Amino acid sequence: MRPYKYVRAQDVDGAVATLAEAPNAAFLAGGTNLVDLMKLEVMTPDMLVDVRRLTSDRVEGLDDGGLRIGAAVPNSVLAADHKIRSRYPALSQALLAGASGQLRNLATTGGNLLQHTRCVYWQDVTTPCNKREPGSGCSAIEGHNKNHAILGASEHCVATHPSDMAVAMAALDAFINVQGPEGERRIPIEELHRLPGDEPQRDTTLQHGELITSVDLPPVEFFSNSKYRKVRERASYAFALVSVAAALDIEDGIVGDVRIALGGVAHKPWRATKAEEALRGEPASEANFRAAADIELEDAQPLRDNAFKVPLARNVITRTLLDLSEEGR
Amino acid sequence: MTTTPTRTRPSASRTRGGIGESVGRPDGVPKVKGEFEYSSDLHVEGMLWGATLRSPHPHANIRSIYTSDAEAMAGVFAVLTHEDVPGRKVYGMEIPDQPVLAWEKVRYQGEAVALVAADHPETARLALGKIRVDYEVLEPVTDAETAMSEDAPKLHLSGNELRRVDVRHGDPEAAAEVVVEGEYEVGMQDQAFLGPESGLAIPDGEGGVDLYISTQWLHVDQDQVAESLDLPPEMVRLTLSGVGGAFGGREDLSMQIHACMLALHTSRPVKMVYGREESFHGHVHRHPAKMRYEHGATRDGKLTYVKANLIFDGGAYASSSNAVCLNAATFACGPYDVPNARIESHMLYTNNPPCGAMRGFGAVQVCFAHEAQMDKLAEKLGMDPVDLRLKNAIEPGMKFPFGQEVPYPAPVREILGRVREIPMPDEQEAMGRDLRELPGGVSNTTHGEGVRRGVGYAVGFKNIGFSAGFDDYSTARISLSIEDGEPVVRVYTAAAEVGQGLVMVQAQIARTELGVENVVVEAADTRTGSAGSTSASRQSYVTGAAVKEACEKVRERIFELVRDEFGESDELAIEDGNIISDGREIAPLMEILDDGEISEIVEFHHRATHPLDENGQGDAHFQFAFAAHRAVVEVDVELGLVRVVEIATTQDVGKVINPKALEGQIEGGIAQGLGLALMEEIRIQDGEIQNASFTDYLIPTILDMPPVKMEILELADPEAPYGLKGVGEPPTIASTPAIVAALRNATAMELGRIPVRPEHIIGIPKKPPDELPQPESSRYSGIGRLEDRRET
Repeated sequence: MRPYKYVRAQDVDGAVATLAEAPNAAFLAGGTNLVDLMKLEVMTPDMLVDVRRLTSDRVEGLDDGGLRIGAAVPNSVLAADHKIRSRYPALSQALLAGASGQLRNLATTGGNLLQHTRCVYWQDVTTPCNKREPGSGCSAIEGHNKNHAILGASEHCVATHPSDMAVAMAALDAFINVQGPEGERRIPIEELHRLPGDEPQRDTTLQHGELITSVDLPPVEFFSNSKYRKVRERASYAFALVSVAAALDIEDGIVGDVRIALGGVAHKPWRATKAEEALRGEPASEANFRAAADIELEDAQPLRDNAFKVPLARNVITRTLLDLSEEGR
Repeated sequence: MTTTPTRTRPSASRTRGGIGESVGRPDGVPKVKGEFEYSSDLHVEGMLWGATLRSPHPHANIRSIYTSDAEAMAGVFAVLTHEDVPGRKVYGMEIPDQPVLAWEKVRYQGEAVALVAADHPETARLALGKIRVDYEVLEPVTDAETAMSEDAPKLHLSGNELRRVDVRHGDPEAAAEVVVEGEYEVGMQDQAFLGPESGLAIPDGEGGVDLYISTQWLHVDQDQVAESLDLPPEMVRLTLSGVGGAFGGREDLSMQIHACMLALHTSRPVKMVYGREESFHGHVHRHPAKMRYEHGATRDGKLTYVKANLIFDGGAYASSSNAVCLNAATFACGPYDVPNARIESHMLYTNNPPCGAMRGFGAVQVCFAHEAQMDKLAEKLGMDPVDLRLKNAIEPGMKFPFGQEVPYPAPVREILGRVREIPMPDEQEAMGRDLRELPGGVSNTTHGEGVRRGVGYAVGFKNIGFSAGFDDYSTARISLSIEDGEPVVRVYTAAAEVGQGLVMVQAQIARTELGVENVVVEAADTRTGSAGSTSASRQSYVTGAAVKEACEKVRERIFELVRDEFGESDELAIEDGNIISDGREIAPLMEILDDGEISEIVEFHHRATHPLDENGQGDAHFQFAFAAHRAVVEVDVELGLVRVVEIATTQDVGKVINPKALEGQIEGGIAQGLGLALMEEIRIQDGEIQNASFTDYLIPTILDMPPVKMEILELADPEAPYGLKGVGEPPTIASTPAIVAALRNATAMELGRIPVRPEHIIGIPKKPPDELPQPESSRYSGIGRLEDRRET
C-alpha cells in the first residue's frame, strides 16, 4: 500500500469540498473494497476522506410512500430491515447473498454501489489493462475470461460489476441522491453505472467529489413480489457467475408489469429491458419467460471461456420468473 | 473380521488418556479463542522485518540487479542478492536445483531474487520497489507436453525431463476382449493452509543462528539452511513454531535461508511473514496431470491389462517431484489385480510454479483416472461398478504391478463391500426443501427444479512413509522423573505438529506404555535427532514407534530396579503411577525413582525399502493404506450447481489411536477431496497465477461440506506399532473420484477433468429418461432424474 493522508470530514459539505481540491483523493466509507484495492496498489489515492459518519445510517419512509436508505446504512442492517424484507425482498436477498457477515457489517450502501468492477487483470498491476492504464490493452479478452462480461462489453474492457445489492436496486428502479461540488442531484440507478465503451477507466457517471448521500426506493406495490437468485461456485463467499433480480406483477395469468436485472454479465448491473418489454401483457408461462430471456440474450457476445453464461442466464431468469409467477398469483 | 493380535502389553488399563481414547488437543481451545501463537505471531524486541523481491516473469534472463537506491533508504539494514549467499547457492530436498536467490535466470513467476531487512514491514516493502532488476524476458514453457518436445528450450542443464518411471509387468502384448480408453486431467490444487509462511531468525552473536519456524521437517530444513549459510548444522538450531496447516506445502523451504541470511548479515533478529498472495508464490502445489489410459478386460469383467501414459507438470524446480512421479507410477493401476501393465510416468520441468508434496502425493491424480476407467469399463460390460471392483480387488499375497508382494492387511474387498452396505441417505422431495439442503444452498438458487441425484463409488490406496530405499526414521527421547511429588514423563522429539494431532498421539503412547498420566510433549527442536517429515501419513507410525520403544526401554529399567529392590519375579506392570505385580500394587513409582531420572533415546527405522529397477519393479513401499468412498450428489443441471449430499467411507486404520482425531483427519481429507472435485484450482496463464487469493481460489466452506458416515476397520499391520496405519492421506484420495462418479451418474456427462465447475455442467441437453444410463444394479433404483422418481 502506498502512504496516504487520512482526513475525517465534519460534514458532507466539508467532505465534498476537501475532495474537490484534491484530485487524487478518495472517499472512505466501509473500506471493504477500496482498502483491498489499495493493498494491491490498483488504487493509489494520496488522501482518504472518511465519510462513514457523515450520511444517514437509517432507512426512513418518504412522503410518496417510498423508502430512503441513508448511504451509511450497513449492508447487514439493510438486509435485516423489516420494510425492505417485506416490500423489497429481492434487495434483502441480494445483500445476504453477498460477501460474508463480517464484510456486510462494515460495508455501506453507498460503498456497495460504488464497488469497482472486478477482473483479475485489473487487479494484477503487472498486466496491461485499459481500466488501469488507458490504451495499454485488455488482457482479459485473450486471457482467462470465464468471469467476464457477455453483454455490453467493448474491445477495451470486458470486466463485470460484482455487486449483488446494485443488481436488486437496478431491478427496483432505485434513485441515487448525490451531493457534489455543483450541488445536489438525483440519478436513476440505470444512469449511475456505465458500460466501458472507450472510457473503461470510468465505472460510474459520478464526477470527482460527488458523494452518494442516500438511495430512494419507489413505492411500487408489486416489488413485494421480487426475488434475487445467485449462481456461484460454492455455497457462500463467492461472486456471482450470473445472478438475477426480478419483480413480477401478474393479473389473471397475464404479466402486468415486470422488472429484471442481471448480475455477473456486464460492466454494470444489467437491466433486461428487452425481456421486460417482451413480457408485458403476455401470459406468464415458462415458454414466454424463456423466450423473453432469449430476446435479451440475443445481443450476448460470449468470450472464449464464458459461453456458459448465456444458457445459465436464460435458465436463471426463467426459473426466477416462474417462482414469482407461482408466488404472486 | 480377521485380526492379527497385537503384542499384549504388560500394563496400564487404569491410566487415563492412553491409546484408543479421544484425548483432547492441548492447542484446541487456544486456537479457537485466537490465543494460539502461530509462527506469524512471533516477536522479539528490536527485530527487523524481512521481505522478498520476486520475479514478475515466469522465464527471463537477469542482466543486472541494482540495489543502491534501496540500500540508501532510511530504515533499511540490508539488501541481499545471490552474491550474498555464503554457502551453497541452491537448495532442494531431493535435487538441489532451486536458487536461494536467482542469478542469471528466473524460471517461474514469483522466484526469489533479492531480500531486504528493514525496521518496519512497510519500509521493507517500499525498499523492494527501489531494487532495479534488468530482465531479458524469455518465452516461457508453460505446458508439460510442450516441454517434452525436442525443440523446447532446455530449462535446466539436465534437460526438461525431471524424472521418468516405467512400470512393465507381464505381457506387453496382452490382448483383451473388452477395451476402454480415456483421457483425464487434473488441475493444480493448492494446500490452502491458513497460516502463511513465517518465521523468526535470531543470531546468537557467535556466528550461529536460531530459527523459529513452521515447517514439516526441522532437520531437512536445518541441513539445507546450514549448507547455504556455510555453517555446521549445530550452529543452525531450529525450533518448531505454531504451524497453521501444512498438507505438504511446508516440506520445502520458503523463507528459512532468507531470514537467517538477513539475521546474520544485520546481527539483528529478523522476522519474515508472507502475505496471502506471496504465499501462493511461496510454496509448491499439487502437480497438474494429463493421463491417457487404456484398460483391457475379459467379457466377464477380469482385468487383462492396464496401459497408462501419465504426464505431470513439475514446474520450474524439482521439489519432491521425483517421488511423486514414482508414486504415481506404482499406484497407476489402482488396488486391483492387474496381470499385465505398461505405465509410463513422466515428470517435466516447465516455467509454471513448482509443484511438490500435497496430501495424497501422486496417488490422487491417478486414482481419479483409474476409478473413472473402472466405471467406464463397468458400463461397457453392463456390470455394477462395485461388483467390477470386487471382482478385481487385490489381496494379500498377490503382486502389485510394480512387483512388490501385497502385504497383509489389504482389505480392498472388505472396505468396498462395507461402504456399499452403509445405509443410503434419505431422499426428500426436492421441491420445498430448506435451501441449505439444495444445490446452491443459501444463494437461493435452486428450489428443487431439475435436481438429479447421482451415486458414485471409488477406492484408493497409497503408501505410508518414505519409499524406494530412503532411510526413513525417527528419534525420540523419553524421560521419566518425579516432579513435585508426581511422576512426569517428558517426550522429546523433533516431530512437527502441523495440526494433525501428533502431540496427543505421542502423549497417549507414553501414558499407555509407562502407566503415567502426566505426560509433557516438549516443543520440537533440532536438539533431538531427526523425526523425519510430517508427511506421507508417517508420524504416528514412525515417531509413534520411536516413542513407544523408548518408553519400553524406560519401563524395562524401572522393572530392573523393582526386581533388584523387591525381588519380584512375576510379570510387572505400571498402572496409574504404581508398580503392579499379579494384580497387587507393590510400590508407587515415586518410591522407585526417588530423585532420579530415567531417560532413553531410540532411533526407530522401519523396514527397509528398495528402489525400483529399470522395469519399475521392486519392494518400494513398507505400508499401504486403503479407503473406499461413496458419494451421493444432487445436481441442478440447469444452473450447474452441485450439492454433495453425503459421503460414506470405510478405511482400514489398523488401530484407532485417537477416535476424535481420526474423525477429524477423515472429514478434513474429504473436504480437500471435495475441493479438488468441485472448485479448487490455481489458474495459470502464460506461467502466471491468476487467482492468488482466497477470494479467487475457492475452497469448500462448511456449507459445502456434507455429513460423513464412516466405518473404521482395525486390521492390525503386524509390523507397525499397535498395528496402526497412517490415516491422513487416504480420505483425500478416493473421495474426489467418488464425487465425480456420482456427478457422471447424475448427468451422463464424461467429466474427464477436475475440478468440475458449474460451467462444465450447464447446458446438459435435456434427454428423455430412457436415454440416460440405467445401471443394471438394483442399487441404483430410485436414483436418477427427479421426474422418474415422481412417477413411481
